[in-house]
Amino acid sequence: MAAETVTVPAEVVIRRIFDAPRRLVFDAWTDPEHLARWWGPQGFAIIDCKAEVRPGGVWHRTMRSPEGNVIRKHGVYREIVAPERLVFTYVSDDAEGNPGPPTLVTVTFADGGGKTRLTLRQTLFESATARDAHHVGWTSCLERFAEYLAKRAVDIR
Amino acid sequence: MVIREMSPDRLSTTYAALADPTRRAILARLASGEASVTELAEPFDMSLPAVSKHLKVLERAGLITRGRRAQWRPCQLDPGPLKDAADWLEHYRCFWEESFARLDEYLGELQTENPKDGG
Repeated sequence: MAAETVTVPAEVVIRRIFDAPRRLVFDAWTDPEHLARWWGPQGFAIIDCKAEVRPGGVWHRTMRSPEGNVIRKHGVYREIVAPERLVFTYVSDDAEGNPGPPTLVTVTFADGGGKTRLTLRQTLFESATARDAHHVGWTSCLERFAEYLAKRAVDIR
Repeated sequence: MVIREMSPDRLSTTYAALADPTRRAILARLASGEASVTELAEPFDMSLPAVSKHLKVLERAGLITRGRRAQWRPCQLDPGPLKDAADWLEHYRCFWEESFARLDEYLGELQTENPKDGG
């Protein structure tokens, strides 16, 4: 039996290089008209998109899946440093409208000479302060979880 | 992509339990094997009742189980909720990967239409 891959439930980090200038990539993240064109998986239609891009401003996106399910995602902007950095909370509601656990998304946009190096980090923490204060302990703690979970993975199922 | 059929309440309980550094340290300790309350309290400047409170939170979240037979009721890590939490975050990863593919395409379109944009 192949060992099951268990991802540590600390954070999601995704890095991408986009072949577009930083300003344009940042705008694509902050202008509702742009956002509605790309946000969400293939085949999902944005039926409502709001982005009050200022600290404390709210955002929400309502999407319709190809199967016709309506999904709502929302949060609050925490930090905006155009065109470098964007921090916002992110909550996904389930089908009944119950909010899921709050997460914090930090997106950084690095200038790469006409290209943009984007890093997205999504963590489980509600506040940036908590995340920063605990990041080190959290990481080493979770490394041990990873080992532990890897060992136990076969037993779980 | 479909919203997972996982109770948000249960995940919230898991995350609330994980949000505290002492509780994470306790879990890290338990990752290397079962331990008593006294053993778990040792590294902390904290009373036994305070540690017990943390253990109750972890137990309610299903992150640990307490032995019933032995008098010292050893604590053990239960990886189930952690795995659910990992699955749930993995759902977000898929969401971003797919969105980024579309963003990539869209940025291409924008620059073809309007090559002077950005800068």
